[in-house]
Amino acid sequence: MNFDLSEEQQLLKDSVERFVNDNYDLDTRQSLSKNPAGFSDTYWQTMAELGWLGVTIPEAQGGFGGNQADTMVLMEAFGKGLVLEPFFASAVLGTRAVVSGGNTDLQSRLLPDVVSGSCRLALAYAEEQSRFDLEDVITRASAQDSGFVITGHKSMVQHGGSADQLVVSTRTSGGQSDENGITLFLVDTKAEGVSVVSFPTVDGQQASEVTFENVYVSADNMLGELDKGFTLLQDIAIDGILALAAEAVGAMEILYKDTVTYTQEREQFDHRLADFQVLQHRMVDMFMEYEQCKSMLYRATLEVVQNGREAMRTVHALKYMVGKVGTFIGENAVQLHGGMGVTEELRIGHYFKRLLVIDAQFGNSDHHLSCFAG
Amino acid sequence: MDVDLSPEDLAFQEDVRDFLATNAHDPKSDYGQWRLNWFELAKAKGGWDVPKWPTTFGGPGWTPTQHYIWEKETAVAQTPWDLPFGLSMLAPVLMNYGNEEQQQRFLPDIRARSVNWCQGYSEPNAGSDLANLKTKAELSEDGTYYTVNGTKIWTTLAHIADWIFCLTRTSDTGKKQEGITFLLIPMKQEGIEVKPIITLGGSHSVNMVHLTDVKVPVENRVGEEGKGWGYAKGLLAHERTGLAGISKSLVALDHLRLQAGSVKRGNATLLDDPAYKSKLAELEIDLLATEFTELRSLASAANGAEPGPESSILKLKGTEIQQRIQKLTVEAGGIYSAAWGKKPVGHSFAKGGMSGYLASRAYTIYGGASEVQKDVVAKNVLGLKKAK
Repeated sequence: MNFDLSEEQQLLKDSVERFVNDNYDLDTRQSLSKNPAGFSDTYWQTMAELGWLGVTIPEAQGGFGGNQADTMVLMEAFGKGLVLEPFFASAVLGTRAVVSGGNTDLQSRLLPDVVSGSCRLALAYAEEQSRFDLEDVITRASAQDSGFVITGHKSMVQHGGSADQLVVSTRTSGGQSDENGITLFLVDTKAEGVSVVSFPTVDGQQASEVTFENVYVSADNMLGELDKGFTLLQDIAIDGILALAAEAVGAMEILYKDTVTYTQEREQFDHRLADFQVLQHRMVDMFMEYEQCKSMLYRATLEVVQNGREAMRTVHALKYMVGKVGTFIGENAVQLHGGMGVTEELRIGHYFKRLLVIDAQFGNSDHHLSCFAG
Repeated sequence: MDVDLSPEDLAFQEDVRDFLATNAHDPKSDYGQWRLNWFELAKAKGGWDVPKWPTTFGGPGWTPTQHYIWEKETAVAQTPWDLPFGLSMLAPVLMNYGNEEQQQRFLPDIRARSVNWCQGYSEPNAGSDLANLKTKAELSEDGTYYTVNGTKIWTTLAHIADWIFCLTRTSDTGKKQEGITFLLIPMKQEGIEVKPIITLGGSHSVNMVHLTDVKVPVENRVGEEGKGWGYAKGLLAHERTGLAGISKSLVALDHLRLQAGSVKRGNATLLDDPAYKSKLAELEIDLLATEFTELRSLASAANGAEPGPESSILKLKGTEIQQRIQKLTVEAGGIYSAAWGKKPVGHSFAKGGMSGYLASRAYTIYGGASEVQKDVVAKNVLGLKKAK
């Protein structure tokens, strides 16, 4: 039994933490968030040069050949820095779709550009009526000529505005909520009929509403098999949840540690706040929940690396915890910082907002608790 | 023990409903005009513009039940926005401790809503420990004015205020609470600088106020030098009851049900979700209980008792409930709760829900943080020695 990082993973972790420490102070982060795409093109290039964008792409295709555990190392470090670049959308979600579902031609065309950073991917799956159900898909793809025509609407596509290609879940047969009859396609955002409306999200990132009006896509752009795309979508979601959980754990660490530091500095009633037992116990609770969440992150990640989709139930448990614990740690970090905690000036407010957005993605904690309970 | 509304109470309720319905804002008319006119009409009803003021100062002299009816009805009806600082915080201090000249000078404008006040209490090092305040007021040699220097923080709407009422330190000897003096200071003068503070939801309502060599005539001192803490302290309990917002929360819960009912999931809505339904039920139960705690507090106030420790319970429970309502709104918003553009995305209530949730984090911090409130209850109600 070994929970140590491998030498390669430790190097990766050190390199990401160095990048964050050198480049991602709060002021810089806030000003980058105001860029048109909401992040730094230069930093994106840096990530490409350091090989991070290909972390789970097979070596044969120019990647690092890693798995979800390596992604976890990167994402936890990104979480500690509140990094804005669309690594999650492209290198986790989009990449998983192409690596697992794309035909060899598509892969050899696309993956080198994904690794080099010149092609950004994003995932478009949620719809207005679907709540958190992956299988609830109305967006239609109908066969035409040597391809398909897609019509429909996708919501809250994270970093959709800066993506070159979208992985889109469509219905090719069956009823609205049938798992069977879902097909994934890769769609060029510049294709005729695609309209992308982008806006900020409360955590300083960006998302888009995307409309497809008779968008033609070649059959070569199908990811996975016709009508059988649901399991691939679930696999993408599992990778997504693991990655978001790692990012969340990184953010939680900053939140509880900043709180411990602040309460030792702030004095009221002739005492440091940290002298008050009630607050000490609160911080212990924050620390304990953080560690528990980290344990669940390791458990779920290792189980998925080992057993793939069979670990689905553990992934539900993880997402439930991340939402619940993230809210608890975030709310209490703000509370223990007093008035300062509610301002934009301190970094804790921004970490808190990121955790709230993470809970809203791929199913909130109530949803996953219900899935876990069965 | 009796909770039925008497015939007189029912008649009053009708009268209130009638007044509110008749005087609701017509969207075609100017809001500012309507607002000031509304207060004039309320005044003409016999002090309905200043429900909490004593009758000697023009208040209506309502019973606790009437106050309760007014609060419930105004929570659902459309009434003009109002600031609590002049009306509910400064006015009672002037009435109880100000001299006649000050009462005549300041109360009419507060009542007419023609002058806006802000509250200069908290400082960067005096939050929960308000008595730690350091803004200095030095009396001139000839004894005719004070020179004020210091910084106030979390000053709500200081950027639109005409005046500020300030707790200042005139003496360092003795306990912190002694040596605090209550001063009234005009905002628009050289030496007063207002800096905005942006809060988590991105909005600007609070500020930092820097006072540099501001001259304040002694006529603007309320009561005696060094007695300001006592004047302010009693009012803090009033402030706490006001922050419980029970009636507003009952209305908000109804809105939340409507919103959750608009969230589809297959053929059902979020209201059919067992987990969500349970949370709503627990919230409603807590509200029903807290509503009666508020009534008990009102009843004992009618019998002449000052708002006591129950005001801390109301603030504690009331703010916790407000926060839970906001959290449930965020949950109802689902993926759309994260959207932060100018136009709403998906569910129309989602952005307001997230914004409200972030703003609500302050409720358990301002007006006395919850942890401090519990210390107050432990000491004053349970008689427990101060813990560490």
